[in-house]
Amino acid sequence: MAYKVFGLTASDQTSLLRIAILGLISIVAVGSRLYSVIRFESVIHEFDPWFNYRTTRYLVDNGFDKFWNWFDETAWYPLGRVVGGTLYPGIMVTSATIYNALHLVNIPVDIRNVCVFLAPAFSALTALATYQLGKEVKNATAGLLAAAFIGVAPGYISRSVAGSYDNEGIAIFLLVFTFFLWLRSVRLGSALYGALTAIFYFYMVSAWGGYVFIINLIPLHVFALLVMGRYSNRLYVAYSTFYVLGTLASMQIPFVGFQPTFTSEHMAALGTFGLIQLVAFASYVRTLVPSDQFRMLIRLSILGLFVVGFGGLVLLTMTKVIAPWTGRFYSLWDTAYAKVHIPIIASVSEHQPTAWPNFFFDLNMLIWLLPAGIYFSFRELSDNHVFLILYSLFAAYFAGVMVRLILTLTPIVCVMAGVAMANVFEIYLDFSKTKAEAENMAVATAPAEKEKEKGKSQGGAGEPPVAVAAKTLYETAGFKRFYALFPKIVVVANFLYFLCMFQWHCSWITSSAYSSPSVVLASRGPDGSHHIIDDFREAYYWLQMNTKADAKVLSWWDYGYQLAGMADRTTLVDNNTWNNTHIATVGKILASDEDTAYELARRHDVDYVLVVFGGMLGYSGDDINKFLWMIRIAQGVYPDGFKEEDFYNAAGEYAIGDTASPTMRRSLMHKLCYYRFHEVMGPQGFDRVRKQKLPKDITLDNFEEAYTTENWMVRIYKVKDLDNYGRSHHAVSAFEGPRFKNDFVF
Amino acid sequence: MMQLSFRLLLALVVLAVALVGTGNGQSLQALQKKANKDKDGLARLDINLFMKHVVSETKDYSVVVQLTALSPKYKCGPCKSIDASLRAVSRGWKDQANKNGRDIVFASLDVEDGEELFQQMKIDNIPRVMIFPASKGPHAFANPSPREMSLSPRTSSVSGMASKLSELFGIEIKAHVPVDYARYLMNAASAAAALYALYLVYKHINLRTLGRNVWAIASILFVLLMTSGFMWNRINSPPYMGQTRSGDVILFAPVNNQQYGVETQIVAVSYAVCAMCVVALVRHVPKIQNTDQRNFVTFMFVVALIMTFSYLNSVFRMKMPAYPFRMLLL
Repeated sequence: MAYKVFGLTASDQTSLLRIAILGLISIVAVGSRLYSVIRFESVIHEFDPWFNYRTTRYLVDNGFDKFWNWFDETAWYPLGRVVGGTLYPGIMVTSATIYNALHLVNIPVDIRNVCVFLAPAFSALTALATYQLGKEVKNATAGLLAAAFIGVAPGYISRSVAGSYDNEGIAIFLLVFTFFLWLRSVRLGSALYGALTAIFYFYMVSAWGGYVFIINLIPLHVFALLVMGRYSNRLYVAYSTFYVLGTLASMQIPFVGFQPTFTSEHMAALGTFGLIQLVAFASYVRTLVPSDQFRMLIRLSILGLFVVGFGGLVLLTMTKVIAPWTGRFYSLWDTAYAKVHIPIIASVSEHQPTAWPNFFFDLNMLIWLLPAGIYFSFRELSDNHVFLILYSLFAAYFAGVMVRLILTLTPIVCVMAGVAMANVFEIYLDFSKTKAEAENMAVATAPAEKEKEKGKSQGGAGEPPVAVAAKTLYETAGFKRFYALFPKIVVVANFLYFLCMFQWHCSWITSSAYSSPSVVLASRGPDGSHHIIDDFREAYYWLQMNTKADAKVLSWWDYGYQLAGMADRTTLVDNNTWNNTHIATVGKILASDEDTAYELARRHDVDYVLVVFGGMLGYSGDDINKFLWMIRIAQGVYPDGFKEEDFYNAAGEYAIGDTASPTMRRSLMHKLCYYRFHEVMGPQGFDRVRKQKLPKDITLDNFEEAYTTENWMVRIYKVKDLDNYGRSHHAVSAFEGPRFKNDFVF
Repeated sequence: MMQLSFRLLLALVVLAVALVGTGNGQSLQALQKKANKDKDGLARLDINLFMKHVVSETKDYSVVVQLTALSPKYKCGPCKSIDASLRAVSRGWKDQANKNGRDIVFASLDVEDGEELFQQMKIDNIPRVMIFPASKGPHAFANPSPREMSLSPRTSSVSGMASKLSELFGIEIKAHVPVDYARYLMNAASAAAALYALYLVYKHINLRTLGRNVWAIASILFVLLMTSGFMWNRINSPPYMGQTRSGDVILFAPVNNQQYGVETQIVAVSYAVCAMCVVALVRHVPKIQNTDQRNFVTFMFVVALIMTFSYLNSVFRMKMPAYPFRMLLL
C-alpha cells in the first residue's frame, strides 16, 4: 500500500480514479443520446415535448407570474385550458433557470437548445445519483457499475435522448436522488437528510406525476420495517421529517393542491405516518411498563386500532371524503379495467402490457442480474436492502403491466445488477490471496523438481540431459500459477465479454430504435441514399403562414400539441386528454358522414381539418389506422350514433378500397384521406400501408382541399363557408361540375 | 380475390335456390330437425342442406355456421376449440327460455361433408364462423348479406363468442358451459395438498430461520415472472404454443411484440439459470478447497452461464431479425 504515483497515496489515487470514471460515464451517457441531433438536427421530438417547449418559451418570454396565471384560450377550443394549474412546472422552470443563468454570464444560447439538451444533461446527473445510491447500499464498485449501466441502459435512454424534452427526462434523476437521500437519512437517522429528501421530493412532485411512486414506496418501506420489528428512532426521525415537509411542500403545486389529504393514492403515506407515531409512542411506553403488561397492552391496542382505522377508512371512502383511485392508477391493479372502461387509456400503445422481448430489448443482461441482486440483498438484509427489494418487486410488476413503466424499473435494475456484478468482481478481481497461493504452488513444485534432478544426477549419471528438460507442461511452475488463477481468469474474461456485449447492444438499440424525432422521418432508398421526410413541419409551417391567426384547426388529439407548438393555431383537442367528451366529439366528426360532419364542424367554429395519411409512404401510424380508436372513443360517449361493426365490410375486414363498408366510405376520415389520391397513384394504385386497392370516385363537397404535403402525409382541408345563395354545397358542385376535371392528364 | 369468387358463388347459389323456391317454414323445420338430433343443438349440415337452407336469400331465420375440419386426420387444433365454444353457445341457446321469437339455428359444416364446396369457395383457412342473417320477417337485418365473425382470442372463448353473437342479434344469448367436476376435484385436491404441506411445514420447520429464504424465493420467483412477460399473457391470453402448417410445434412467436404462453416459462427459467450461475460463482465456488474441483466447477458454471445467455440472445435474434449481435455462433 505504500506505492505512490505522482506523490498521491493509494486512497487519493482511488478517489481520483473514481472521479475520472464518473466523468467518463457522464460523457458516454450524454454522447449516446446525441444520435438524433447528429442525424437530423436540434429539434424537439414527438408530441408532449412540444407542449413543454411551448410553455417554456412562454415562461421565458413572459416571466413566472404570467406563466403561473396563464389561461390558454387557443387549446381545447372553445373551453380553453388553465395551463398554470394543470401542468407539472418542474421541467419548464428548470430550463428557464438554466437559460437565464446562461444569459446572466453572457452565453446567448437559444431556449430551444436548452430544451433539446436538457434530458442528456440530466442523464449524466442520473448516473451520478445512481453511483451514490449504489455506494449507499453496497460500495463504490457497485456504485460505479450501476452508474455505468444506467448511463447507457436503453430503458432510460428511450425517454431521455436529446430533443425528447419530457418530464421523465429530469424525473428519473429526481427519483433516484430522492431514494438515495431517503436511504441515507434512514441509515443515519438524520433530520437534515430527511429534509433534503423532502426538498427533492418536492422537486419531483413539481416535475412528474410519477411522484406517486415515491410517496407510496417510501411508506411501504417504513411499513415493512415496522412489520419486521425493525423500528428505530432513526426511522422515526427520517420518516416524520420527510412526510411532514414533503407533503406540505407538494401541496404548493397547484396541480396537486389538497390531493395529499384526500385521495387514495396518498392515503398509504398518511396511514404510515400515523402508525409510526403510535409505534414510537409504544416503544416509549415499553421503557416505563413491565414487559408482561406491555405485551397485553400492545395486543389490545393493535386490535382496537385496526378496527377503528379500517372502519374509518371504509366509512370515509363510502362517504366519498377520500377520493377513489383515479382511472390511470386503478388500471394498474385491475388490468382489465382500462380495456373495458377507458378506451382512451387503452388506445395509447405505451399503456399496453410488456412482452418479454421488450425487457430484453431495454435491459439486456441486466434483466437476469436483477434476481441475483435480489438474492444478494436478502443475504445482507439491512434496512437499505429491504428498500431495494420492495422497489424491485413493485417496479417489476408495474413494468410488466405497462410498457412505459420499464422506465421506473430501469434504475433499480441497474443498481441490483451493479450489486451482483460487484459481488462477482470483488471475489474474482482480488488477486492478492490467489497470488500467494499460486506462488506457494510454484514454490512447492520447485524443490521437488530439484530433488528429482538431484536424484537423477546422482543415480543415473548415464542418462542424457534431454530427459530432464522434457517434463510435462502441467508440471512447470508457470502452469501451476496459471492453474491456480484459472477460475479468476475465466470468470473475469467472461464478464468482460458480457459487459462489451451490453455496451454494443445499448448503442445499437439507442441508435436504431430510440433516436428518431418522429417529427422528422428518415428513409433509405434502395441505393442506400438518405431521405429526410419533413411533411409535418411543412404542413404546420403552411398553416402558420397561410391561415388567419385565430383559425381553428380540427385534428385528432395526437397532433394537438404539435399544432399549437409549430403552427401556433387554435386546436379543439390535444394530448392533454382531460376532456373525453370533447375528444369523442372530434372522433364523431371524423367518423360521421360529410353532411353531419360539416354541420358539427361549423357549430364548433372549425376552419380547417387536418388528417395524417400514410398511404403514399407506407407510414403505418396514420389516422386511418388510428380510426378504429376514434370510433370506439366516440361510440363510448355517443352510443346512438354509429357502431364499430359498421366500419367493417361484409367479410369482416377493415377495408378501405371499393370493398369497404358503406359507413366507412361515407365517413369524413375516409374521404379526407383518399380524396384525389388515386389520381396521383394511377389506376392500379395501392395504399402502401393497408396493401389494398384504392377507392375511386370520392366526392367531397362541403370541404375544400387546402394543402397537401410533399409525400401526402399531412392533408389540410378548409371547411367551406355557407353558400352565398343559400344552396347546399352538393347542389353547388353539381352545378359547377367537378373542380379538377381539366387539371390532371395521365 | 377469394372474397370476390365467394361472392360470385353465393350469388349463383342464391339464384338457383330462388328458382327452386323452397318454402321457408319447411327450411327452418328441416334445419331444426337436424339440430334436434344433436345433443348440443348444433345442426350437422352437408353440402345440399347448406346450399338449400342456409345460403338462400330470403329467409326469416338466421343461421350461425362453422366451417371446420374435426376429423383427427386434419390435425386442426383451433377447429376443436372453436367447435367447443360454438357448442356451448348453441347448447345455451337451445335451453334458453326467452328467445323473443327469434329463430337462430347453429350449424356446422365439416370439410368431409362438403369438400367440393370448400374447394370451389377456395376456403383454405379454417375454422371460420359465418353468420347468415334473416332477411325478412320481424327480425330481418338491415344488411342481410352473410358475414364472418373475426376469430380473435376474445371471440374464440365461450363468453366472448356469446357476447359477440348477442350483440349482433340484439338479444342476450347465454352460453351453457357444463360444470367440469373433474376440475373442481383437481382444485380441491391440490388445495388440500397445499394445506397439508403448509401444516407439515408449520409442524416440522422452524419458520424463524427459514423465513428469510422463503421470502427470498418468493420475491425472486415473482420478479422472474414479471420480467418474462407473465402479465402480458394474463392480459392478452395468447395460445400456449404455435403451430406450423405441417403441424410442428413452434415455441417462440416470430414477432417482437407477441409471445406464446410457453415463452414466459422458457425465458423465466433461462433468467433463473443465469442468475443462479452468478450466485453460485460468488457464494459456493470460493468455498471449494480442492483446486482441481474448484477449477472444474467454475468452468462449468461459466459455460452454463454463457450458453444460457447466448440461447436467450439467439431467441431474441430470431424474434428481431435486424438485431446484429450474435454469441457463440448462435
